[in-house]
Amino acid sequence: MAVTEGAEPNALRDRVRKLLGPWVVPALAVVTALILGAGLIALAGGDPLSAYAGMLEGSLGSVNAVAETLLWATPYIFTGLSVSLAFQGGLFNIGAEGQLALGATAGALVGYALPHLLGVNLPAVVHVPLTILTGGVAGGLWGALPGWLKARTGAHEVISTIMLNYVALNAVTFLLNGPMKDPSPENVIARTPLIADSAQLSPIFSGVRLHWGFPLALLVTALVTWMLRRTTLGFEIRTVGANPEAAKYAGMHVSRTIVVSMALSGALAGLAGAIEESALNHRHELGFSQGYGFDAIAIALLGKARPEGVLPAALLFAMMRSGAPRMQFLTQIPVDVISVIQALILLFVAADVMVRRLYRLKGERERVVITRGWG
Amino acid sequence: MPDNRRLSGPKAGVLALFSLALATSASACSKSNKPDCSSPEVFCVGVVTDVGKVDDKSFNQSTWEGVQRAQKELGANGKYIETTDPKDYGKNIAAFADEKYDVVVTIGFALGEATREGAAKYPDTHFIGVDQFQPPGTEKKNLATLVFPEDYAGFQVGALAALVSKSGKIGAVLATDAVPPVWRYGEGFKAGARYAKPDIDLNVVYHNDVGIEKTFSDPEWGKTTAISMIDKGTDIIFGGGGKTGNGALIGAAAKGVYAIGVDTDQYNTVPEAQKFMLTSAMKLLDEGVFDLLKQGKDGKWSSGNVLGKAGHAPYHDLDGKVPEAARAKVEEIQKALQSGALKTNVPPTKS
Repeated sequence: MAVTEGAEPNALRDRVRKLLGPWVVPALAVVTALILGAGLIALAGGDPLSAYAGMLEGSLGSVNAVAETLLWATPYIFTGLSVSLAFQGGLFNIGAEGQLALGATAGALVGYALPHLLGVNLPAVVHVPLTILTGGVAGGLWGALPGWLKARTGAHEVISTIMLNYVALNAVTFLLNGPMKDPSPENVIARTPLIADSAQLSPIFSGVRLHWGFPLALLVTALVTWMLRRTTLGFEIRTVGANPEAAKYAGMHVSRTIVVSMALSGALAGLAGAIEESALNHRHELGFSQGYGFDAIAIALLGKARPEGVLPAALLFAMMRSGAPRMQFLTQIPVDVISVIQALILLFVAADVMVRRLYRLKGERERVVITRGWG
Repeated sequence: MPDNRRLSGPKAGVLALFSLALATSASACSKSNKPDCSSPEVFCVGVVTDVGKVDDKSFNQSTWEGVQRAQKELGANGKYIETTDPKDYGKNIAAFADEKYDVVVTIGFALGEATREGAAKYPDTHFIGVDQFQPPGTEKKNLATLVFPEDYAGFQVGALAALVSKSGKIGAVLATDAVPPVWRYGEGFKAGARYAKPDIDLNVVYHNDVGIEKTFSDPEWGKTTAISMIDKGTDIIFGGGGKTGNGALIGAAAKGVYAIGVDTDQYNTVPEAQKFMLTSAMKLLDEGVFDLLKQGKDGKWSSGNVLGKAGHAPYHDLDGKVPEAARAKVEEIQKALQSGALKTNVPPTKS
């Protein structure tokens, strides 16, 4: 009797399990972090329920709130894809922050200087794509560098991307204080001039700040998914990521694939910077990124380094960041709580054994190969 | 069977976690109260900080203290939002304005543009921009920008330094004079020292030899410059301009001579120099904000650029080391400057 009843649901359950299986641990990691976060809020003298309600209201409570959340999500999606793509190739790109800064700087340069240089006003259909793509190319070249160093000399990309972040950020500081500094007399801070109107990515609807960068982010997510799954290049990237020895044996060009993976990863981060600058800031200025490139690592891990996982992870992080002011407005608890919750999520995703033990999950410990050793 | 064990150890842990969270939230639930800011009797004050914490021992904190005083003395409802990313400036201002807060206080130069935009978008809300400036001719009716006379503050501590110095040699180590507030501190310091003691040996150095970003973040230069002055007999150092100025304070403390800070009470912000902190040339943000709020509560809102007060920090550990005559002279100078009886004669900017 039990057998006949169980047969049909079992097939269904298997399908559901196959579809949702990989996301059980990330989802539980988020839930656990929120529960611990609630305890923390209570300890800080706040009311966890109204804090979370405030966060939801602030991120999804109105049309404008949703628009602001998607606005926050845009750079997170691009940088999350950047880090994920590198993970797929077996590379740990910690350099997204630097690649993003260079992308924004290069984009700003094209945005304000190109019309003067050419002596003509460019139409927006040319100038906007040029601004954004230049940012992508700059980030891509900067990302390719540690890839090339690894392929050529074996220098580990974790070290070289961390170091290159400093080089990039200091180079940008120099540029913003020197050759690219806004020359207007009242300006005393490190920033470029405003980019031309024709280089500004416009909002989707008037009255909200949400801009075309978000649909672009969705499109790029689809493109990266397709590239990884359906193209030869994607297959090579994944194979090199999973097992470079086998890839080599199969006749793949491992060094070239490493350079290409890092270049694409850097390009995605560069796009994040250029789009943010073209659509929101309209200039590059120091301190414009509050660590999108580093949050991206957590987002990529939460998304299991898959493009389709990055999307919900980026939206979740965006909701927390975008809802934080409303949460604080209602409860007056420190916004640091958000950072702690995000750190806990990262901890539980990275140390998934804890989550599996806590919830007595069975199943093999399938893990994302995030990076390989020093070999 | 495995199923029977489901409620053992770890699962029970999760349950405990859940119930803990629920219990704590239930106990805290009664505290939520939301004032009705649209009612004319309810005076609501919203504060938007610059990127950073509200208890930063600097501008954010000092402003918030002014609002807290308004809560106590004027019965105001005060709340703050700590900005985490510059792109949220406008959103955080709107969070208060949309809830019909009577006044939104924004802190610091960086919020200037967002505050002006907010004032234009919400004509029925009053705005106070702390340490912000409106170019003449562009002032908004519902926006009061609180500017501070750095030269007054510099003047007071300059006079104090001249009166307290035993060697007759005092020095100032500052970031670039191309930034007007730094210039006003430095020149005010000079003028005050000469006013109190015309024969004082003065050495004021600006870090003009590097770029704008470096000039405020060069503690090593600040420290070595201060030490070289001290080696030549200087016994009081005035340090100003971000980390560069803090470096000078630390240098003075390392050599065991008195140090004078800027902007806020740096006794609290530079613990390394605490024992030798004589005072700090201060912008009295809390008083400026409170005064504007009090006037507003009485229906007399200010607009345009409003000159706040400048003063000096308490002497803290060195209270017993300041002669009574010097103490009295500085108080007298502060009053005379504020009333206009005494002028610093420092032009607002260099050249």
